Amino acid sequence: MKIKPIHFLSRGYMISIFLVLLTAVVSIVIRSPFLTLSLTISDIFILLALAWDFSSGTTNYINFGISFFFGVGVFATGYFYYSFHLPVPLLFIMSTVFGILAGLVFTIPTVRVRGVFFTLLSLLLPLIGTSFILAFWTVLGMPTIGYFDIVQISKSPEVSLIYVSVLILVVLTLIYVVNSTHFGLVLKGIGDDESALVTQGVNSFPYKVVIFSVSMGIAGLAGAIYAMTTTFAGVDAFGLEFLLYPMVIAILGGKGKILGAIPAGYLIILMSQYLQQYVGDLTLMLFAALAIFLFLFLPKGISGWYK
Amino acid sequence: MNILELRNISKSWGGNKALRDVSMEMESGIVGIVGPNGAGKTTLVNIIAGQNQASSGKVFYKGTDITSLPSYRRARMGIVKTFQVVRPFRSLTVRENVELFSKVRSQSNSEDILKITGMENFQDRFPVELPFGLLKKLEIAKALSANPDLLLLDEPFGGLGKDDIEKLSKFILDIKEIGKHMVIVEHKISALLPLVDKIVLLDRGETKFDGSVSEFKANEKIGELYFGGIINAGN
Repeated sequence: MKIKPIHFLSRGYMISIFLVLLTAVVSIVIRSPFLTLSLTISDIFILLALAWDFSSGTTNYINFGISFFFGVGVFATGYFYYSFHLPVPLLFIMSTVFGILAGLVFTIPTVRVRGVFFTLLSLLLPLIGTSFILAFWTVLGMPTIGYFDIVQISKSPEVSLIYVSVLILVVLTLIYVVNSTHFGLVLKGIGDDESALVTQGVNSFPYKVVIFSVSMGIAGLAGAIYAMTTTFAGVDAFGLEFLLYPMVIAILGGKGKILGAIPAGYLIILMSQYLQQYVGDLTLMLFAALAIFLFLFLPKGISGWYK
Repeated sequence: MNILELRNISKSWGGNKALRDVSMEMESGIVGIVGPNGAGKTTLVNIIAGQNQASSGKVFYKGTDITSLPSYRRARMGIVKTFQVVRPFRSLTVRENVELFSKVRSQSNSEDILKITGMENFQDRFPVELPFGLLKKLEIAKALSANPDLLLLDEPFGGLGKDDIEKLSKFILDIKEIGKHMVIVEHKISALLPLVDKIVLLDRGETKFDGSVSEFKANEKIGELYFGGIINAGN
């Protein structure tokens, strides 16, 4: 069998890279703290959306637990900075590793079931995990409220954004390469008709374990960026918005169409950042309504619209 | 050595007995499984493929007891099934549908499979763009790409017109020529008989006949009872 070439010059991939780099350039040129922060937050949610879409979007195992793994990344960053004063690159690595480990613990028992049962487990197991972390936090001698004054990625917000942009490009390329291989074909096969796949000789279980663990590692990485951007690691990291926004972004970008998450992410998060100034907490409600609208009327997102 | 042997296979769904002590031996070639609706044909094939587990009884493949093996392990040993209702992977192209299974056993050549099945001109199309006859072929191409020794075809002629049945029949014989063994479940007895070396007739989960095609054709009682004399009319 010929090995399929990976087309790095594909239009979608190039547009995505261009958009990510453009945001970094715009931030350097305009030098608006609000815009730079908004773009960094957008990148964090784009990473979460990529993580969600990489696993749930392609395999159709709808995972409602991604905010837990994001929270694991946030807390891992706080813990390793406070306890060991690890430098920024190692904090990125540790939060990713902890995301992967938590992903393995979550995935191995859950991906044996499908459909609504998996979705329910994806909601319940992280809930148990969150409760466990919060309950034992003080017992383990950790600060009660959370970690303050976590190290920043860089003193300059613009330089931080460049680092984050590079991380997004690395993750994007990883996902793009994986999706272009036989592994990626199997993931799509799982999403289309898993029982037919298994009957004809492909054991889907290890593929699901790997993809969900890696995805949760990416969510952990997003958590590290968040912790170092806000310089705080607290309970809010497990909040609903870290599930809702990534899902809305992934669905608007086209479920399973990884590259659509980039433009959709900037659109959604920049809109929400501006709306937040005028309607405050109602923003989350508006985006929940948008999620319902997308599910009902635009299930294929902008990629379906484009076709 | 038998390529396939079933010993006293029974299967119950709730209180209903779908199969009762079905035994069968297959040395090589093509075996046809026929019978009226509800006879247990598809259930039997699903049990051979590992898609369903037998309530009792044993399945042997090339002398190895595979009764408790999951379906993907059986496929890796060489038993691959097609589905009664075609189940292509809709987000993948024809070529990708075939490549998906190319690593199941020894690396098979997707190009060859596409050529053998006559799908090479459609390799960049998505299943939704194919006519029904080609979807049936794609179903078999997918199975062939897993490089099986024993192919289980569940109603391959279902929904096809006369021309497509003729084309598919020729194709099945071509597959036999390259050394593949097959179990074919089929309603269309007149299309099936020219292809098979052996016939098994099931009715209400029991084996009513197990023998050669000539014996089957000679058995007037079976012909009248189950096929209204159609056995000879079709040939």
